[in-house]
Amino acid sequence: MSTSTASTYAASTDAAGTYAAWGHPQLAAQVLRRRRDGCSEIALRVESLHDPRQVLWLEQRIRALPGVQHVAIDRPARRVRVVWDAQRTSLPSLLDNFSAAQCPAQPLQLDSIDDARSREQHDALKRLLVAGMCAMQVMTYAFVIYIGVVDFVDFSTRHLFRWLGLITTVPLVFYSAQPFFAGAVRELRERRLGINLPVALAVALVFLASTFNTLRGSGEIYFDSVSMFVFLLLGGRYLELRSRHRSGALGDAVIDAAPLLAERRRADGELETVAAITLLPGDRVHVAEGGTVPADGMLESACVQVDEALLSGESRPLRRVRGERLIAGSVLLSGPAELRVEHGGAATTMARLGALAARARQARSLLGGSDREIGRFVGRILLLTALTALGWLLVEPARAFEAAVAVLVVACPCAFALTRPATLTRALGVLAGRGVLVTDGSALATLAQVDHALFDKTGTLSVPQLDRRAVEPLRGDTLEHVLQLAAALAHESSHPLARALAEAARQHALPLRAQSVQVSAGAGISGEIDGRCLRLGRADFALAPSGQPVSADTAGALLLADAQGAIAAFHLDEQPRADARRMLDALRADGIVPTIASGDGETRVATLASRLGIDNWYARQSPADKLERLQAARRDGHLTLAVGDGSNDAPILAGADVSAALTSGTELAQAHADLLLLDGRLDGLIDARVIARQVQQVMTQSRRWSLLYNLCAVPFAALGFVPPWLAGIGMSLSSLVVVLNALRVGRNETPVRPDPASPAERIRELRA
Amino acid sequence: MNILLVLIPVTLLVIVVAVALFFWAVNHQQFDDLDSPAILPLLDDPPRQGPAAEPSEKTEPPTQDS
Repeated sequence: MSTSTASTYAASTDAAGTYAAWGHPQLAAQVLRRRRDGCSEIALRVESLHDPRQVLWLEQRIRALPGVQHVAIDRPARRVRVVWDAQRTSLPSLLDNFSAAQCPAQPLQLDSIDDARSREQHDALKRLLVAGMCAMQVMTYAFVIYIGVVDFVDFSTRHLFRWLGLITTVPLVFYSAQPFFAGAVRELRERRLGINLPVALAVALVFLASTFNTLRGSGEIYFDSVSMFVFLLLGGRYLELRSRHRSGALGDAVIDAAPLLAERRRADGELETVAAITLLPGDRVHVAEGGTVPADGMLESACVQVDEALLSGESRPLRRVRGERLIAGSVLLSGPAELRVEHGGAATTMARLGALAARARQARSLLGGSDREIGRFVGRILLLTALTALGWLLVEPARAFEAAVAVLVVACPCAFALTRPATLTRALGVLAGRGVLVTDGSALATLAQVDHALFDKTGTLSVPQLDRRAVEPLRGDTLEHVLQLAAALAHESSHPLARALAEAARQHALPLRAQSVQVSAGAGISGEIDGRCLRLGRADFALAPSGQPVSADTAGALLLADAQGAIAAFHLDEQPRADARRMLDALRADGIVPTIASGDGETRVATLASRLGIDNWYARQSPADKLERLQAARRDGHLTLAVGDGSNDAPILAGADVSAALTSGTELAQAHADLLLLDGRLDGLIDARVIARQVQQVMTQSRRWSLLYNLCAVPFAALGFVPPWLAGIGMSLSSLVVVLNALRVGRNETPVRPDPASPAERIRELRA
Repeated sequence: MNILLVLIPVTLLVIVVAVALFFWAVNHQQFDDLDSPAILPLLDDPPRQGPAAEPSEKTEPPTQDS
């Protein structure tokens, strides 16, 4: 159910080299979109698109297949869209051709087909070009009038040029400038003052006044100013759009790489890991505690608790009993569940899937959100404009209009408003490329100031491993038998210790099935195997029914016990993650005090803490104890960071100022985290901290710059020294400075570890 | 100066044609990937595995607009 298995899953399908499963019509219907002309459309994720030559070869090869009409490759997003006639080339053979070209492809969900980015970009490009062409023409007409070459002919020729100016400005105002008007209307409807309003107001005022003067046949016209203004502004917005899209594509590529997985029960009772998108109605699915329900389905286990907070916002745990419906995307809080899938990837369900992906995208879309500061800013500008107009009306009425428009344009807080979205979008894109997904953009601001960090131990700082020699049967059973019993229970939990145990047993023993399994967070698992009640977990939990005392030599071990007492002890070995030490050293150098809070025994925590050089550690902590530690630190005035991976860490992840979860852990933990560390890479935290600092710096800089620019430019405009076209250039340039400044995030600092992507690729992405 | 009455409509017509051409190009993804085509002339023959592509179809432009 987690991303840790994603790579093995992908490898297994690649190795098999067969995509025959996609020939199933129901399955194909989940990823294909029918077009009116009878063709099909599909979005694919292609992993190996580093080399531009490869892209070209792939494109040529796919285009040469019979029935293929259109191939679009989005390299930064690692996505390929194909439109083709499925009658002439079947989906499996299309996929086979991708893998024969050494670019194995995985179909993506239906909603990935809609390529909003390229649509938006095409639209902006067209508007920009129309504005450019019209502005050029209007300038020539205006120039003719300026230098007065037609004055000596007659007045009708002069009027002709004024009319020509009007005609060529019309498409510019009504087509190219339309996004500004639409934005202004939207802002007014939402009863707030945004940056589109001053722009739309300026364009409309200048255009209407000039049109009126043209019709009247006398007075000044400003068609050249308004057209240059719109053209420059669109140019600035287009550049901003390009850099935003590049960051978005990088993020998409990372999200696609972690598809939602499901454990499907085969006909022989074995479990196999498949992508959730390949589930069909009638399939039986096993969901471990802490996992995400991969598809809508009927519950076949007795009773479970689910959290549907990500779907409905209802944060109370909900009880579901046998025969009730579980909704795709909800997170299992207790006990494993067996599920019979009702509808597979019907569009409605798939849209809710992959809560991780959805949240990461949502974080990005919220970036451009309205800022109250901007509203106040715009309000002041409108006031200032009115004052300027009034002032000039008293002194020299002829210049009032021009000066007022110049103030309106020059003071528009576009640069100010762009600062936050431009910088954060860039930061999120850079971080996604380095294996950190940010689900809450404002968390970065807090992360830059964090001074206290609380770490979970098992699964976060260390990876447990079970050596077969470390299995100690206590009542004379064979080693295989106890391992088998323990694995049957361990399989039902997503705790890292349980996973390590199940992993060790998988190579040797035949799986048993445990009944009525209950998982107690932070303590252990209980269940029935062949009518025998068994408990696996911490010594005090496992021995509770038998009342046996906890002996010293098994205190630190994982115990398997029944009602009579202990059956076996498992001495799991722990290795700190390869990058844990480096990450902790970097945090300490940065002034953050790391602390370990673990549910594990004292000796084990102490050993690991000394290996990692951590002085503050707490053992035998329940989730509530951990939360108490965290709140104590917060009461002392610390800003806290919590890092965890398991379901029992969810409370501290939710309670900390900033939280990070490893995506190798449970989905419940991920659901409460602000940062997600992909591929179990802890040093993503260092990157995140560095980037967060840079974001703060760059944002302060950009805001200062835009305020300074406005303060300098407004007096000149108000005194009538700045013609509207110059105001347009100034405003566009100041926005551009902010966008370029945002691109500095993640650019100058050297990467803290060798990057898996090729250096050339990396540099390209940074420059883009 | 009467030549203006001919030349000005001609320039307007040129703009309309240019905009139409440009719209066609944008709609056919000509501006989507500005990096890869630059190295197209430097390409060796593609590595051939599996069924080979027919050369005649390679240069065919896409016929479908999305």
